[in-house]
Amino acid sequence: MAPPQSFSGVLLLVLALAVLDPAAAAAEEPRWAPALEAAEGLAEELWGAGLPGDLPELEPECRSLLAAFAEGCAALTGCLGRRARPVRLCQGCHGLYRRLLTLYGSIARAVGNSSESHNCAKSILTSDRLQIVVTLSEFFNETWEAANCANCLKNNSEGLSNSTEEFLDLFNKSLTCFEHNLQGQTVYLSPNNYTEVCKNCNETYTKLNDLYNNLQRMNRQSDESGHSAHLCIDVEDAMNITRKLWSRTFNCSLPCSDTVPVIAVSSFILFLPIVFYLSSFLHSKQKKRILILPKRIQSNASLVNIQEKYS
Amino acid sequence: MANVAKKVSWSGRDRDDDEDGRAGETTPLLNGTGPGAAGGARQLTPSSFLRIGQLSNVDLNEDIHELQTELPRQRPNEIPHNEKLLSLKYESLDYDNSENQLFLEEERRINHAAFRTVEIKRWVICAMIGILTGLVACFIDIVVENLAGLKYRVVKDNIDKFTAKGGLSFSLLLWATLNASVVMVGSVIVAFIEPVAAGSGIPQIKCYLNGVKIPHVVRLKTLVIKVCGVILSVVGGLAVGKEGPMIHSGAVIAAGISQGRSTSLKRDFKIFEYFRRDTEKRDFVSAGAAAGVSAAFGAPVGGVLFSLEEGASFWNQFLTWRIFFASMISTFTLNSVLSVYHGNAWDLSSPGLINFGRFDSEKMGYTIQEIPIFIFMGVVGGILGALFNALNYWLTMFRIRYIHRPCLQVVEAMLVAAVTATVGFVMIYCSRDCQPIQGSSVAYPLQLFCADGEYNSMATAFFNTPEKSVVNLFHDPPGSYNPMTLGMFTLMYFFLACWTYGLTVSAGVFIPSLLIGAAWGRLFGISLSYLTKGSIWADPGKYALMGAAAQLGGIVRMTLSLTVIMMEATGNVTYGFPIMLVLMTAKIVGDYFVEGLYDMHIQLQSVPFLHWEAPVTSHSLTAREVMSTPVTCLRRIERVGTVVDILSDTSSNHNGFPVVESNPDTTQVAGLRGLILRSQLIVLLKHKVFVERANLSLVQRRLKLKDFRDAYPRFPPIQSIHVSQDERECMIDLSEFMNPSPYTVPQEASLPRVFKLFRALGLRHLVVVDNRNEVVGMVTRKDLARYRLGKEGLEELSLAQT
Repeated sequence: MAPPQSFSGVLLLVLALAVLDPAAAAAEEPRWAPALEAAEGLAEELWGAGLPGDLPELEPECRSLLAAFAEGCAALTGCLGRRARPVRLCQGCHGLYRRLLTLYGSIARAVGNSSESHNCAKSILTSDRLQIVVTLSEFFNETWEAANCANCLKNNSEGLSNSTEEFLDLFNKSLTCFEHNLQGQTVYLSPNNYTEVCKNCNETYTKLNDLYNNLQRMNRQSDESGHSAHLCIDVEDAMNITRKLWSRTFNCSLPCSDTVPVIAVSSFILFLPIVFYLSSFLHSKQKKRILILPKRIQSNASLVNIQEKYS
Repeated sequence: MANVAKKVSWSGRDRDDDEDGRAGETTPLLNGTGPGAAGGARQLTPSSFLRIGQLSNVDLNEDIHELQTELPRQRPNEIPHNEKLLSLKYESLDYDNSENQLFLEEERRINHAAFRTVEIKRWVICAMIGILTGLVACFIDIVVENLAGLKYRVVKDNIDKFTAKGGLSFSLLLWATLNASVVMVGSVIVAFIEPVAAGSGIPQIKCYLNGVKIPHVVRLKTLVIKVCGVILSVVGGLAVGKEGPMIHSGAVIAAGISQGRSTSLKRDFKIFEYFRRDTEKRDFVSAGAAAGVSAAFGAPVGGVLFSLEEGASFWNQFLTWRIFFASMISTFTLNSVLSVYHGNAWDLSSPGLINFGRFDSEKMGYTIQEIPIFIFMGVVGGILGALFNALNYWLTMFRIRYIHRPCLQVVEAMLVAAVTATVGFVMIYCSRDCQPIQGSSVAYPLQLFCADGEYNSMATAFFNTPEKSVVNLFHDPPGSYNPMTLGMFTLMYFFLACWTYGLTVSAGVFIPSLLIGAAWGRLFGISLSYLTKGSIWADPGKYALMGAAAQLGGIVRMTLSLTVIMMEATGNVTYGFPIMLVLMTAKIVGDYFVEGLYDMHIQLQSVPFLHWEAPVTSHSLTAREVMSTPVTCLRRIERVGTVVDILSDTSSNHNGFPVVESNPDTTQVAGLRGLILRSQLIVLLKHKVFVERANLSLVQRRLKLKDFRDAYPRFPPIQSIHVSQDERECMIDLSEFMNPSPYTVPQEASLPRVFKLFRALGLRHLVVVDNRNEVVGMVTRKDLARYRLGKEGLEELSLAQT
């Protein structure tokens, strides 16, 4: 299951969101419970009754493997769906994902081990056109890759890595800070009234921002192949939400705009070429070409003329 | 009389009137002020202007300084530089093989197997050209990437710092100063060490392959300056690319390797001596140019076609195959080295310096309805290209006339660099177009006034090397740029690029053109998408590509090779058809206004460039009117003193001398026997191959062809050869060394006929004879190049000293 602090993170965030946008959060709440129930019910059915219908060629071992895989899929799907917004995929579902991997592995790996499991791999994975088990496992793998979850898990993918823990800690702290400073104020605030938050939470926010930038830099360095190396989606999303809150909702990052000096300096620089061209036009000596007269046959008259002149 | 002819110099200026009705030329011809003494050969007996063996007559117009002499009222007139001039600085290359006795002997000596080795050597040289060109391209790429990365990081950190605290004007100053100082270094080395390395080098290579010897163009020093210069100008943030100079670099590498030595370094490796002549060197240079294109764009076929289109007037299929080999090797080398550098060895997926990325998603397909839209884009590209060229024309003219001192040129380059940085900064500063950082691949995201987690979209275009900006414009998902940003960017970059081309820095125009085109093409795509309410086919990336093709086509006016280059760079053959249409339209529309940028610069440099055909309305001109006359001839057995005098006469720097029958009685009619070159004469004098010494058996060995090749390509000047007073009285026998069968034309041959012969065979001297095989005149490159089809019919260019 997911580590406790991420849960608190989710709750806190929901809280924060509730403060800001109560309608949306409220709408989100009731959707949770039924989905959870349905998933659990499905799993139960699979476990209890076994697979309905007659599958004579499927060995009981295979059947149980398949059932386990189906259950794993259902659980993971449920987890992913529930944690889609705000994104908590990696923190919440890595256990389920790992279990599914193991299950798939035990289906696929068994090829050639013993006669039964050989049958298992063959009959489950490759005996029809659809190959739904393979498709499902590919889908989960791709999602996992796209989310870049490996980036915030430990190397053996058991639990979150230290840096991620640290980041989430700080993230929770800053959310708490936001929350505290917003207490006692009305829900609908005029957009420029967040100075309190900005002042009090600046330190935490800056720390969080720096940490994120650091993580990004480290990530980029360790992965030299290209610029596409992302952090894991949980971290990215958390940072994104915080940044949006900070600079869009609270309007805290107001950069100094010093338009006057910029205009002065740029117009000075833009003025230089005009001076240069004018002065070189006025003072530089124009380059003259000396015409060379070619030797060509002239008309007879000119020849006669020359001959007379010089003979 | 002949001596008189020299003394007389030019006194014909007062006879302009005689000339007006002459040959149908519309401009007042220089002939009007031509050498009076020369005139009227019809009336002269040949002997009267063929005083053999005296320092009298002048054959070529290659270098005629006589007008500075004697008569004060004959002072040469000075005019400001204009495009209707031919410079005396440029000479022809000797493509025509001199089939003299030595050559025949050598051919007899070398057996069949030896010719096989020569053939194998050619392939080896081509492979080496490819490898070295690829390596140079890698070097440029890696250094530019790192230095530019460093610069942008420094500036970005600075901007980030000052955005919070205030004082962004310091960031601006820092950026401008960094740019200006880097460009200063780049400009200083070009302006003071090797001016021929300025610009993209494509016009120069075009001229070289056309047969014009541009001084220093294929020297090692030029290569070094070119490579360093292009790195510095790209790092300096100018609106330039590094692709054009690659072509020049490839050509220099080819010329260097094929000779097996470096005259600059004074090293002779004693290999490839067979190739030490202009004909062979030209073939390798065309291979080098192709390898350069191939390394620059990852387009081996495009490279071959570039050589074909731009250069080779002389073409055969074996050569083509060899050139293709060099191109392939070059792109492969670049590919493998870069793949190792980027850490995924042998991936081989980055074939060129610029890689347009893949255009194979579904959205990138096109339908028949889009063809008219593409053609319209071609029209726009042609008009914008013509505008670019016209503006650049005025600017270049101004630069030639007023900014000709090296220090002024350096200052100008620095100013352009500083202004480029400033414009970029101001645009970024004013832009309020923010895009989320997530999921985008921006190398240096600049936040500035955007919210945290967002970057300034204008900065992706300005705050990046141009190559990267082009690729971003092609591939960023729809919605990455807002139309305002693109519009401002196009406008600014258009003027910056136009201003930058022609500076004294080595830099290409390909990438800036592509960038301008990609920007307005994307803008076009976006507006189309608005009009059609977001249809799927209106993907802006595709229109960015077509816009880039149209703009580039409108500026450089290349057709076949550019189509293939674009096709290969996108890796998408189905785009061939629309790209071809776009380029054709752009060329047709552009040609209606002004000519292509490269041709324009060739003309402004007063290079005697021979186009494919003679001007169409020139059939009425005959060889008699075209040729230069009188001609300095040598006798078959000539006095050494005479030869030395002729060669050392500074006023007539001629390069080829017809050899006529030696007749003791000089008043007799003498027929043409052969042609000998200045370089050959100098080698002969250096080795003192005199008849008397041979009789006394003082000469240890006979002169071989190798002696001529060793002196190539920098023959010593005549002044460095000492000939004693006694030796002056010796005789020299030219019959063994001259080319016994020079090409000749009768006096009545029309200009197009002469032109065809001259151009197709790559001649340097074409002797005009009368029906008794007596030398009447000589046609050289400048005699032919001066006729040009202008706005009001046939024009004639003047010769000038530059």
